[in-house]
Amino acid sequence: MIEFKKFWWMIKKELISLKRHPARLVSIIAFPIIMILLFGYGMGGEMTDLPIVVVSQSHGDLTDLTLDTIKTTETYHVVEVMDSLDEGKQRVDNGEVKAAIILPSDYDKNTSNQKAVTLYLDSSDQMASQILESSTQGIFYRISNMVASQTSVSTKDADIEPSVIHSLDNFKDDIALHINRIYGNIKYIDFLVPAILGMTVMMSCMMGMGATIAGERETGELARLFMTPTSVATVIGGKIAAKLLIELLRALILIFMAVLLFNVSIKGGFLQTFIVLVIGALCFVGFGIMLSARTSTQEDYAQLSLPFSMPMMFVSGVFYPIETMPWILQKLAYVFPLTYLNDAMRGIMLKGQTLGDVWIDLVVLLGFTLLFFIVGVKRFNRDV
Amino acid sequence: MKNAIETHDLTKVYSNNFKAVNSLNLEIPDQTIFGMLGPNGAGKTTTIKMLTCLIQPTSGTATVGGYDVQKNPDEVRNLLGMVPQQVSLYKDLTVMENSQLCADYYGVPHDERDSRIEDLMELVDIKYAKDKVVGQLSGGQKQKASLVASLVHRPDILFLDEPTIGLDPTTKRTLWDLIRELNDSGHTIILCSHDMHEVDMLCDNVGIINTGNLVAYDTPQGLKDALLESNRQEMTEALTQISEENEVSTSTKEDFENLSLRKMSVLLKNQDEGIINQIRLINDVKSIEVARNGRINLRIDAFDDMAVQNVLDKISQSGGIIKSIYTEEPSLEDVFIKSTAEVNEDDRV
Repeated sequence: MIEFKKFWWMIKKELISLKRHPARLVSIIAFPIIMILLFGYGMGGEMTDLPIVVVSQSHGDLTDLTLDTIKTTETYHVVEVMDSLDEGKQRVDNGEVKAAIILPSDYDKNTSNQKAVTLYLDSSDQMASQILESSTQGIFYRISNMVASQTSVSTKDADIEPSVIHSLDNFKDDIALHINRIYGNIKYIDFLVPAILGMTVMMSCMMGMGATIAGERETGELARLFMTPTSVATVIGGKIAAKLLIELLRALILIFMAVLLFNVSIKGGFLQTFIVLVIGALCFVGFGIMLSARTSTQEDYAQLSLPFSMPMMFVSGVFYPIETMPWILQKLAYVFPLTYLNDAMRGIMLKGQTLGDVWIDLVVLLGFTLLFFIVGVKRFNRDV
Repeated sequence: MKNAIETHDLTKVYSNNFKAVNSLNLEIPDQTIFGMLGPNGAGKTTTIKMLTCLIQPTSGTATVGGYDVQKNPDEVRNLLGMVPQQVSLYKDLTVMENSQLCADYYGVPHDERDSRIEDLMELVDIKYAKDKVVGQLSGGQKQKASLVASLVHRPDILFLDEPTIGLDPTTKRTLWDLIRELNDSGHTIILCSHDMHEVDMLCDNVGIINTGNLVAYDTPQGLKDALLESNRQEMTEALTQISEENEVSTSTKEDFENLSLRKMSVLLKNQDEGIINQIRLINDVKSIEVARNGRINLRIDAFDDMAVQNVLDKISQSGGIIKSIYTEEPSLEDVFIKSTAEVNEDDRV
């Protein structure tokens, strides 16, 4: 039988500890903020201000238009516009800039030949080079469209063959691609934040249970509790209640910071997001209990939990969609509870689904929770 | 006298087949102080864990206060208090809060709880620090706080695991007095300690556990007397060997001397050659030397109960005035070393 007075003592103890150690309270608040900043800005933000040089070997209106476009594009930070091709390449080779955009000498000439603009790219920086490549392609696609449009206008003005005008206009107007984003314009950060919330809850729950159970086993505090006429379920229940309270506080801060810092929209509502996080926290607290059931020191616990927490972080679809992973990792992902938490969180936050819509994820999470608690309590021994 | 604790063939074999406790039969009389001795790894901790219901015995039985540790663990837990070697109170809570937590975990009635705690604090003299956080207390204060938390549910039996380790001599003696007071008020105390002097001073009975077995059990004096008797037998055997053999090895001679002689040291106020010559004439005195500080070091017959008295009489008759005297007695440490000398680890695996 679980005794609630003893439960309450564990919660009270945690609260007193926090009150007497304001630094710990700061850590509870700071940890989620750091996590969300680290992953949000570090991994989820857009790359801007990549240093480049422009080698301009031509002069004229088109060159000016191109330079203006490049300079006003956020992706680039134009360090210098120069004439010398060799110097431009040299700057890239030396690693001073990420790329050189080379406008050829015939860039401004009216010629029917294709104008060969070169992007001299430092491809060793895979992320930056991909961004630069797609961004530069986009710019020159737009410029060539603008030129085509101006040409059509000028040819109109010059009263040239209407059929040519028609064909050019038709080419642009006849094929129109309409993109219908059913969940709105989702950026990578939007995709990332729900899973970051889940992952942060996972990490803090698992680390926290190590300190609570294995740590107190190591210092003998748990022994004192186990020498009293108290069931294992009550002792563990008290620990869980205390831990959960802290984690809920952390979850609230996480959601608040995600909205505040990244303007993340929570389409399914705050309450549903919170409920999913609570279920996730309960599941990972259970996981921590199961792992710490037989470990005698915090160090043992850390060694034991690492092989679970690390793969879970990278395989459960936090950073990349599970479908893009090799098949073996895809299979592995579905035995990790974090996968289901992420799925439910994204469903609620991004798609505006309800708890009913993500019921499979929730049932699986609750199933894992039950399993972890049963195994944890059964395996738990009073031997301290 | 009924027994507070009884074990019959109590055995614990761990999952790696290590037999930590091997058919232990032990009886600890009610309201006594029992000293549990043994080298590291002897099986003391495992025995305590079984008696405090932290682990299950593999076989055999153990009763605490008449309750079987396996059948009635909660009743046993209610009878027990434990002061572990490592202070296991929550460091962020005050002495009062820790005691309240323990009281509530033991189910002490709420209306009695705080008054009981205050009484205990007064008894162990820690009331002045009741609102101090445990992490800020000194070693001695922590042990006292631990005692309060362990006694709050009024246990009949109190386990003390190295309670004075690391404490200064004054605090140590204060705790000894407290242990005696607790015993006088009816608590049975099981004291685990490597401090032989402490055990000798405090305990009514001493049990020495080695390789999972009880190898010696008696009063401290009984154990020392038994050691003397054992030495006497060994000396007799050595004498027989000496008389039978033409050539006696140096080590046999040393063994013989160690067994048959004991040290005595006397410091005189008015030392002169005449007194020393008179001491030399005593039959029980086998050797004599005068140290630079004037102390007379003697080796006397270990088994003659009158040897010390004869020396003192002779000094007195010669007009010597004794400032201090020291005689070597068999100590509990000697008993411990002898009892635990033979280790057969093969039996434990």
